Amino acid sequence: MNSAVETIPGEPPHAHHWTSVNAYHGAKLGMWLFLATEILLFSVLFTSFAIYRFLYLGEFHSASLQLDWRMGATNTAVLIISSFTAALAMDAAQHGNNKRVRNLLLFTVACGGIFLVVKYFEYSHKYDIGLFPGRTCPEVHADAASGHGDSHHGESDHGAKADHGGGHHQEFCWPTGDNALGLSDAQKEMLVSNNYKMYFGLYYCMTGLHALHVIIGMAVLSWVCLLASRGRFSEKYYTPVELGALYWHLVDLIWIYLFPLLYLVD
Amino acid sequence: MSEHAAAADHGNLNYLNHETTLWSWLSTVDHKRIGIMYLFTITIFFIVGGIAALTMRMELASAGPDFLTPDQYNVLFTLHGAIMIFLFIVPGIPATMGNFLLPLMIGAKDVAFPRLNLLSYYIYVVGAIMALFALLNPIDTGWTFYAPYSTQTKSAVILMTGAAFVLGFSSILTGLNFVVTVHRLRCPGMTWDRLPVFVWALYATAVIQTLATPVVGMTLLLLIMERWLGVGIFDPKMGGDPVLFEHFFWFYSHPVVYIMVLPAFGVVGEIIPVFSRKPLFGYKMVCYASLAIALVGFLVWAHHMLVAGISDTSAIYFSVITFGVAIPTAVKVFNWVSTMYKGSISFDTPMLYAMAFIFLFMIAGTTGVYLATLAVDVFYHDTYFVVAHFHYTIQGGAVIGLIAALHFWFPKMTGKMYNEHIAKIAFVLVFVGFNLTFLPQFVLGMEGMPRRYFDYLPEFQSMHRLSTVGALVNGFGYTFALLNLLFAWIFSKRKASANPYHSLSLEWQTQSPPIHDNFVETPTVTDYPYGYGTPVEGGAH
Amino acid sequence: MFRYLPEQASKIAPSVDWLHNWITDLSVLFTVAICGAMVYFAIRYRKRDGVDHETPRIEGSNFLEVVWTVVPTLISIWVAYYGIVIYQDMREGENEALVINAVGKQWIWEFQYENGKQTVGEFVVPVNRPVKVVLTATDVLHSFFVPAMRIKKDAVPGHYTSVMFTPVKTGTYHTFCTEYCGTNHSGMLAKLNVVSEAEYERWVNDRSDDLAKLSMTPAKLGAKLYSDKGCVACHSLNGTRLVGPSFLKLYQQDGRKLADGSEVKFDEKFSVEEYIRESILHPAAKVVESYPNGLMPAFDGQLSDGELKGLIAFIKEQDGSAPAQEEEPASEDMTAKLAAMSLEELGQFHYESKACNGCHSLDGSQIVGPSFKGLYGKKGELADGTEYVADDAYIQESIWDPNAKIVKGFQPNLMLQTYKDQLKERDIQGIIAYMKTLQ
Repeated sequence: MNSAVETIPGEPPHAHHWTSVNAYHGAKLGMWLFLATEILLFSVLFTSFAIYRFLYLGEFHSASLQLDWRMGATNTAVLIISSFTAALAMDAAQHGNNKRVRNLLLFTVACGGIFLVVKYFEYSHKYDIGLFPGRTCPEVHADAASGHGDSHHGESDHGAKADHGGGHHQEFCWPTGDNALGLSDAQKEMLVSNNYKMYFGLYYCMTGLHALHVIIGMAVLSWVCLLASRGRFSEKYYTPVELGALYWHLVDLIWIYLFPLLYLVD
Repeated sequence: MSEHAAAADHGNLNYLNHETTLWSWLSTVDHKRIGIMYLFTITIFFIVGGIAALTMRMELASAGPDFLTPDQYNVLFTLHGAIMIFLFIVPGIPATMGNFLLPLMIGAKDVAFPRLNLLSYYIYVVGAIMALFALLNPIDTGWTFYAPYSTQTKSAVILMTGAAFVLGFSSILTGLNFVVTVHRLRCPGMTWDRLPVFVWALYATAVIQTLATPVVGMTLLLLIMERWLGVGIFDPKMGGDPVLFEHFFWFYSHPVVYIMVLPAFGVVGEIIPVFSRKPLFGYKMVCYASLAIALVGFLVWAHHMLVAGISDTSAIYFSVITFGVAIPTAVKVFNWVSTMYKGSISFDTPMLYAMAFIFLFMIAGTTGVYLATLAVDVFYHDTYFVVAHFHYTIQGGAVIGLIAALHFWFPKMTGKMYNEHIAKIAFVLVFVGFNLTFLPQFVLGMEGMPRRYFDYLPEFQSMHRLSTVGALVNGFGYTFALLNLLFAWIFSKRKASANPYHSLSLEWQTQSPPIHDNFVETPTVTDYPYGYGTPVEGGAH
Repeated sequence: MFRYLPEQASKIAPSVDWLHNWITDLSVLFTVAICGAMVYFAIRYRKRDGVDHETPRIEGSNFLEVVWTVVPTLISIWVAYYGIVIYQDMREGENEALVINAVGKQWIWEFQYENGKQTVGEFVVPVNRPVKVVLTATDVLHSFFVPAMRIKKDAVPGHYTSVMFTPVKTGTYHTFCTEYCGTNHSGMLAKLNVVSEAEYERWVNDRSDDLAKLSMTPAKLGAKLYSDKGCVACHSLNGTRLVGPSFLKLYQQDGRKLADGSEVKFDEKFSVEEYIRESILHPAAKVVESYPNGLMPAFDGQLSDGELKGLIAFIKEQDGSAPAQEEEPASEDMTAKLAAMSLEELGQFHYESKACNGCHSLDGSQIVGPSFKGLYGKKGELADGTEYVADDAYIQESIWDPNAKIVKGFQPNLMLQTYKDQLKERDIQGIIAYMKTLQ
């Protein structure tokens, strides 16, 4: 057996061929590669957004006005603070202060929670006023024009679901009845615009995927937190804290691009 | 290097028998066992995909409907394509031979993240089960899932694209693992310019796997969203653009061709020097060529879309850049052939497959030139010429490479020798059958026969019939080859020595099959693994 | 070597083929040279008597590496250059080109000329004049491929793409769909007729078909469409169940049961006209109970408002007051005309007027029933496994009693059973004679 091998907590027996220094660098390289794949994952959405924003500038602009920038800004602040505490946790781990690591990470996870709560309010508000992606329903167009669409879609509170005869799966449609709260006629008309819907389609995909990453990040950091409360970290071994923090920074970074793109840019 | 590490003191203990319970296999983090598990799993899918192909060829043996309906035929070619691509050939060489050999070849005990490796196997299994459900459900879009057909058809598109996403995740994890392994776990003395070409090829492949797969993953998720919620970005009725889907799709699916075929290049680069007793000619050029192909491979995706309605400017760009792939590929072929010059060549089965590979790949490469040439591609796009071309690349390249690798490293993996005569007969059947299947398809393409046709005009019948006969012969060949290996593993009494081919590469310097930890002592490397022959003046490495 | 390209029918074809054949020759040269060297080395330096001989440790040659990097690069540049030049030549004459709009839809090609003339599955162009086909699609991706002209372009829904060619030879050429588009992808063919300039002028300005339609009553127009568009293949007029529901009393029947268990109720919001209109344009929207979904092509975008009204009027007429609609008794004039026709002409007349063309193609492609091309004298297998020979007796029986012998791979009960009353001995002989011309 190689004499340079040291026991690393949490590594499987067969992985003991790593020296601890090598394991640290290897894990970091792996994480960076993984972050690269994450960025590429989002790049598809960013590209799509860029293309369609270029094509449908007007619709995308007016659609973006529907978003509440104050909520977005709150979330941005929350995430930046959480990223900062994650970095502090990393520093604490390097000094072997497990208790401080635990507290800082708990705070970070709590920030993630706040982010999701704010997101929930944003989503549910939009859902209520009917800003939801949906396939074009020919009836809706016809109804919007002739103004007797209420019988088709007006009944349900959510208004978004309607099964169209013969369709093999449920399709979401735009409500055009009274439940489209307090919108002017002009706004109603815009609701029916496909490209307007496309904006929200992309909005939900991008922020939804990001929210999923927030949840995963919270789970990862909670696990690191657990390790910290068991006193696992020392000056020599703090890889999980660093990797968790790296991941959290990425989650933060993506939001920092999403926020201006979706909420602010005219 | 010597064979002293072959470790007599370990007796008969090796990675296969040091633990034998089923659980010890299912929970193993040993790269060798994971490689073997992959091997068996993908072989099952190779058989399923192959049966689908043969059924199609039977239907196409004569013009007009025979025993399938058009819809059944459409399901079959989707089944064949999706299984062969996502379940067989993408994990093909990297996840099987790569997993088994990469740590052995660089003198490591395992890959960088052994548990991640096992996780990626199980993710693959989950994806495979999803895919099977989807394919039997069925799905009829072709493996390319082109929108808007895929957003409109009633078949199981969500399940299949979901499966492809999961499989992609498995592929990313394997690639990431390999990159870190090559960077961090090389044994003392194993510098970058001493890495075996197979490792170089796996490294280039792993980079592509890691960087290209997320793009298709997201694309497929968007397709699911499109069907589910109607986001509209690929749907022309909502202002979306189906061509955008093609761009995203090929951004991954062109590089994926190199995921399939680069490792096969690596295999051939390992086999030829050993059986020629000569150093690999232009070792460095061969290694750099792998990287160059991986790199340029990212820049050429839209040559799959030259007639899809992209602008003339982009068509010209993608046509020209595509020629950029041809050059490093040609360099590789020249180097392999030059390696044989003044060698001492023996014709063991792996060498026969390697030579067949060169011939088949010459045809694959040169027919690729037609398709890269703008004016000619306009004629050939989506005809049988394309079908024949990519089967020469994927089957003639990647599958033949995998079979060559299986024969070459079989003694190392199992500790047994296979029956050489049956292996050679199988080789002849595979080679003849393969060419008989696909050469007529080039002719069909030249005559203007479009692909994915359930039925065809009567004048195409004779070539279709030849092709069907070839496919049957080809199928028999693979069956013989695989059964021969399987029987040898189970029943053969002929034990393989640690290094039956007197190779200089590290994996042969440990016992066959290797011990659980690969090497008794961490090896130290002093030279690159191709130092065969008597030194001559001016020939130093 | 390997000269299998189809006939050169366009101005650009010789240049494309020239480059193509150059690539072929270079490819063969390189393949033979490299693989020849490989085989030569393999034989010349083979291991003899099972003992390795001494080999030199040659590790590479920078000179050779440069040579075999530079030579393929130069050849590639040459080929790529001409590929681009010829590609650009394909658009020559764009400004004076004859423009035809083509629409791909599952699974037909529809063509429209500048003067409004429309055709389906067939288009005509004059020889020696640049033609620009502007392409789009209504449902999924299609691709427009005329091998003899060496052109291809995808038809993309929501986009307009175009191809150009200048035909140089009169004749009939195949047009394929080369982008997979679903069930009948391989049947999505069209015929390209290249004719002389004069003939083209006559053809394109011959609007008698359209004029006839204009002067018809809606119900008459509907009756014509009923056979022209092939409705007749699947919807009977006498209550017989074919592939789809019969038209008999369809208009008058309220409360039809649908496949999903619901009923169609007509009221002021959803009239019977709207129901028929929807069922023609989007057949999948409401599927009648016990009938399969997905068999009927959507006619969305293929019928004008007037044509739809015609069909609805025609369906309204099928109220059972007239015993199953019959062919108008042939007038004296018609009888004389028919008698004067040769057998082949008579057969062709029936092929078109009795709507055989709805289900039996002339070019070998399969629609609903077997193609007439090469049918006469053909041998094959029936659904019950026995053999058949398509001789006179067989064809007569197949027309008069279609279910007597069903060819393997085809469905029974699809063909109308009423031809026995409509086609007499001589008519059958005519059809057989016509088939003989289609070998």
